[in-house]
Amino acid sequence: MMAVFDTPEEAFGVLRPVCVQLTKTQTVENVEHLQTRLQAVSDSALQELQQYILFPLRFTLKTPGPKRERLIQSVVECLTFVLSSTCVKEQELLQELFSELSACLYSPSSQKPAAVSEELKLAVIQGLSTLMHSAYGDIILTFYEPSILPRLGFAVSLLLGLAEQEKSKQIKIAALKCLQVLLLQCECQDHPRSLDELEQKQLGDLFASFLPGISTTLTRVITGDFKQGHSIVVSSLKIFYKTVSFIMADEQLKRISKVQAKSAVEHRVAELMVHREADWVKNTGNKLTILIKKIIECVSVHPHWKVRLELVELVEDLLLKCSQSLVESAGPLLKALVGLVNDESPEVQAQCNKVLRHFADQKVVVGNKALADILSESLHSLATSLPRLMTSQDDQGKFSTLSLLLGYLKLLGPKINFVLNSVAHLQRLSKALIQVLELDVADIKIVEERCWNSDDLNASPKTSATQPWNHIQRRYFRFFTDERIFMLLRQVCQLLGYYGNLYLLVDHFMELYRQSVVYRKQAAMILNELVTGAAGLEVEDLHEKHIKTNPEELREIVTSILEEYTSQENWYLVTCIETEEMGEELMMEHPGLQAITSGEHTSQVTSFLAFSKPSPIVCSMNSNIWQICIQLEGIGQFAYALGKDFCLLLMSTLYPVLEKAGDQTLLISQVATSTMMDICHACGYDSLQHLINQNSDYLVNGISLNLRHLALHPHTPKVLEVMLRNSDANLLPLVADVVQDVLATLDQFYDKRAASFVSVLHALLAALAQWFPDTGNLRHLHEQSLGEEGSHLNQRPATLENSTTAEDIEQFLLNYLKEKDVADGNVSDFDNEEEEQPVPPKVEENDTHPDVEPPLPLQIQMAMDVMERCIHLLSDKNLQIRLKVLRTLGSKCGDFLRSRFCKDVLPKLAGSLVTQAPISARAGPVYSHTLAFKLQLAVLQGLGPLCERLDLGEGDLNKVADACLIYLSAKQPVKLQEAARSVFLHLMKVDPDSTWFLLIELYCPTQFTPPHPSLHPVQLRGASRQQNPYMANVLRLLKELQ
Amino acid sequence: MAAPCPLPPPDPQFVLRGTQSPVHALHFCEGRQAQGHPLLFSGSQSGLVHIWSLQMRRALTTLDGHGGQCVTWLQTLPQGHQLLSQGRDLKLCLWDLAEGRNAVVDSVPLESVGFCRSSILVQGQPRWMLAVPGKGSNEVQILEMPSKTSVCTLKPEADAKLGMPMCLRLWQADCSPRPLLLAGYEDGSVALWDVSEQKVCSRIACHEEPVMDLDFDSQKAKGISGSAGKALAVWRLDGQQALQVCGTHQLTNPGIAEVTIRPDRKILATAGWDHRIRVFHWRKMQPLAVLAFHSAAIQCVAFAADGLLAAGSKDQRISLWSLYPRA
Repeated sequence: MMAVFDTPEEAFGVLRPVCVQLTKTQTVENVEHLQTRLQAVSDSALQELQQYILFPLRFTLKTPGPKRERLIQSVVECLTFVLSSTCVKEQELLQELFSELSACLYSPSSQKPAAVSEELKLAVIQGLSTLMHSAYGDIILTFYEPSILPRLGFAVSLLLGLAEQEKSKQIKIAALKCLQVLLLQCECQDHPRSLDELEQKQLGDLFASFLPGISTTLTRVITGDFKQGHSIVVSSLKIFYKTVSFIMADEQLKRISKVQAKSAVEHRVAELMVHREADWVKNTGNKLTILIKKIIECVSVHPHWKVRLELVELVEDLLLKCSQSLVESAGPLLKALVGLVNDESPEVQAQCNKVLRHFADQKVVVGNKALADILSESLHSLATSLPRLMTSQDDQGKFSTLSLLLGYLKLLGPKINFVLNSVAHLQRLSKALIQVLELDVADIKIVEERCWNSDDLNASPKTSATQPWNHIQRRYFRFFTDERIFMLLRQVCQLLGYYGNLYLLVDHFMELYRQSVVYRKQAAMILNELVTGAAGLEVEDLHEKHIKTNPEELREIVTSILEEYTSQENWYLVTCIETEEMGEELMMEHPGLQAITSGEHTSQVTSFLAFSKPSPIVCSMNSNIWQICIQLEGIGQFAYALGKDFCLLLMSTLYPVLEKAGDQTLLISQVATSTMMDICHACGYDSLQHLINQNSDYLVNGISLNLRHLALHPHTPKVLEVMLRNSDANLLPLVADVVQDVLATLDQFYDKRAASFVSVLHALLAALAQWFPDTGNLRHLHEQSLGEEGSHLNQRPATLENSTTAEDIEQFLLNYLKEKDVADGNVSDFDNEEEEQPVPPKVEENDTHPDVEPPLPLQIQMAMDVMERCIHLLSDKNLQIRLKVLRTLGSKCGDFLRSRFCKDVLPKLAGSLVTQAPISARAGPVYSHTLAFKLQLAVLQGLGPLCERLDLGEGDLNKVADACLIYLSAKQPVKLQEAARSVFLHLMKVDPDSTWFLLIELYCPTQFTPPHPSLHPVQLRGASRQQNPYMANVLRLLKELQ
Repeated sequence: MAAPCPLPPPDPQFVLRGTQSPVHALHFCEGRQAQGHPLLFSGSQSGLVHIWSLQMRRALTTLDGHGGQCVTWLQTLPQGHQLLSQGRDLKLCLWDLAEGRNAVVDSVPLESVGFCRSSILVQGQPRWMLAVPGKGSNEVQILEMPSKTSVCTLKPEADAKLGMPMCLRLWQADCSPRPLLLAGYEDGSVALWDVSEQKVCSRIACHEEPVMDLDFDSQKAKGISGSAGKALAVWRLDGQQALQVCGTHQLTNPGIAEVTIRPDRKILATAGWDHRIRVFHWRKMQPLAVLAFHSAAIQCVAFAADGLLAAGSKDQRISLWSLYPRA
């Protein structure tokens, strides 16, 4: 509102009548009149007339006798209005007004605030607050002289009482705000001057008298019902810590003399004064500790984040200012802070981290012996109770406990070694970690999921994340389900690795790893994180000058862990029941490997008897699978931690990892592949192929040495296979070198392990053919014939079109007769049945070395060596091997094999398919795990390509078709149906017409109307259109034919 | 085997591939030259010298200085980054390998086409002595290096009929500055030459076949030689500088291409034509292990200062073995 009366004179003229009126008759109306007039007076005029205007108001308050509350309220409000627009320049006035306002709520009969209306209470609180703000300049300080103590004390207790006991939230907040003002904690802009040391001390001495009252009352408010609203708790917390940190400030206390100076105050007041000497500090500190503990206990779990945030402030303020006076509270305070490091609210988290960083910067912990001791002690005691807590707490409890642990580690930084150096505590800590990280290995799916096609290494590392644990396999733990707990545990381990003595820790956990299969997986997980942490790549360091483990040392440590991981007994674990590839001699030679560790496993982990479903065998195989996966992930993490330095470890790691990439268990193969990508990333290879290709020498070394102990390393040929697929012609000498070993080993074990070698030889020949493309005629001819076949197939649909004319039929008939003639043998020239021999290459005459025979090119020599072995293996007693050899040879020198195949092999294959068919048709789902099933599947999968490549005659094709037809039945296992369909797809390529006819006879979806009325309608056996078990597969195949 | 508790023979620690030619010479190089990571030099029949990093287990560089002719001997000089390579192209090359260089800085023409390996004796810096097979088929030539000044030619008496020198070892007794040369000859004898006086001090006929290689332990004054035959001979040198045969050790298969005592003089290894490395206890001459890995004759064996054993074979591979690692 615009001031109407600018000059004191004008204003006086206007105000005088109402003032006089009020002095005479004290009514609400008169007060209101005054206030209305006041609003038209400018501030400067008001200041001039301040005393004059205040007089009737104060007079009203002071008039003895009962007064109506409403009147007092309006007087107080009017007073407040005047004070808000003016300054109080005299100390006396300030004191008097203070007393008069406080007295409005005074009830002589009780200690409690008078039972007056809420409006009045609010008005008085506002009045007091405004009064303190209106004090001009330094008079506010002179106000706080010892003589004010009784009056100030009264006001403080009054406000505390209101804050604690009032129902109205508004009053509570106002009271707390006013209390802040009284205690000079007001946050508004009107108090610019900071206090000097002496002033601080004087105020501290004065306020110390109120400390018991303030601290206990506020503690009650703070620890009161959560429902009272967060702002009350926040304000109370603020007043609490500001008051405590002011009165108990180490800065102030160290200047307090032992003897209390004689003060010139009257005896009554002197009695109230507190002398903050050592004893008082100690006693008060102890009492405050009790309150602080109560507050922390309550507030750290307060549902409102702003309250927890204020707790962080409290901790910071008290620890920074009172670390000596409140030494007893330091432990609980730190614990509170540390416990909030992983608060669910990001604001609290951020503030916590900021405070922790601040502490670290200020060397509050590291530089402060007492605090460091307290932290170490806390960590000690937490380590002690950790195993118990980890078993007894629920997920939420575990989460806060681990958060606390993490916070301690963060805060202590390099000093955690004090705790780790104590054997007992390290053991406790590790026991707890090992315990809580125990995996749940009962999931049967892990063992079951198989990887049928392990050759897909085309993934590019660029698509994967740069941090290995972003694609870490999801795992299940026995003692918790919350994923955040796992993240916390990893952080804990990483911090241990970062700050702790890595040699000590790695030794310790390696020891546990070796000790028992019960600990092994957890110990490996911990080791993985320790190394990641030690590299310092993900750790947020609060202690900037901390020196990381040097790369050389880290590499040595990693090397030793890797040796353990990839050792025979930890890398080659039983993960499936199949013995096909294990070989019997292995089981005999190494019973330990085969004894799936089940005995030890049940001892501590779980008594599996309790659960009847997953068998101990499955569980221990799962456990083995997880162990391998964790170790693989570890290798990925190590690569990440070491970066380019990891290149030096490729010689020992690439082979075992690649071996696992070809593992039959899906999980293992997936994890191994992603480990390889981590390695690519770390060592700077753009693809897995690149990685393999560039490190073939290391792989060859591994392959060659492992071939010497094939029984222990049955998967060695598989690794070579993968290597061959990812190599190129440049590696020929290397390949030639290792092929010598392969052939030598094959010669040695041809009776036991030929199967795995034949696929390597196949891969080798394929690779050679690809690296050294044949430019000769044979290949050309072959392609031509392929082309003709193709075109023949393409022409077929034309003949099936409906627009068939009589001429077409005639032509067809003629062709048919001609072909029949040919089929009967009336043909002039036969195909040349000569064996295909590798053409001896022309070698230049070389005069310089007359004693050296010109050698065959390396690749041809190799191919010859391979073929030689294959011919011998054709008579192997194992059906699968014969098949594989045939495929290998068939792809390279088809014709010569045809006769042998048709005479020796085909009848047996067909026979076994026919006899086995009824069994598989009846069998249940378990059948797919039997050897018989795998044999059937292999035969069916192999027959198609063979028939096609060997270019079999009609009679033999019929044999094949007859044997496979039964497998098109829907009663057969799905996989066998699929394989049988593939046989027919190949047969279609060789002879589409007869295949079509054969299928149509089984089931015919349509009626065939003759193309010409003069012809008889065709009657086909399959045309019954009844449902039959072959229908589905036949329809699918016929669809392919069209 | 006579070992009290025969463990299965170990596998090579690793195998170096890539010479693409039979390996004829091996030499470890340690210390300053290799910046803390030991290097291995290998000489191949195709005339190349490969420098292998044992840390990476890969060839770092290839030196081509013998025109495709077999490299038979490799030796580094202790004072610097210099390598000596002897080839059947009748040349002994001195390579400068410092700071990544690999150039022939000097060469000594040879006049013998045999397989006899040379030998050096480093007396004082920067001078050193070199023994090479000489012009005459039975001669050994002594040169002062790096000046390439011919010091003398050691030629046996005309009636001795020792045949060609097959292997040479220059050495010096601790008590005397006189350079001595042990030489194995085609007739199966080992002779001790006093280089300064150019005379044979002592000679023993310890093999029936040509001596292929010998090694000498100057501290024990004891040496060992291997021949094309089936025996290893151990002999010693008495105070009067007379050689005496201490004993022979019979082998199953004939032919030892190289015999090397480990620097700590605890064990020795032989390169067998039977594809096997044999390891013996040096003092007791007790057989410790027969290492089977190679698929062709082994042509050379060498020990690194840390005890790592390398063997080079005609099968083009170099196998490295960690045997009885010292604590």
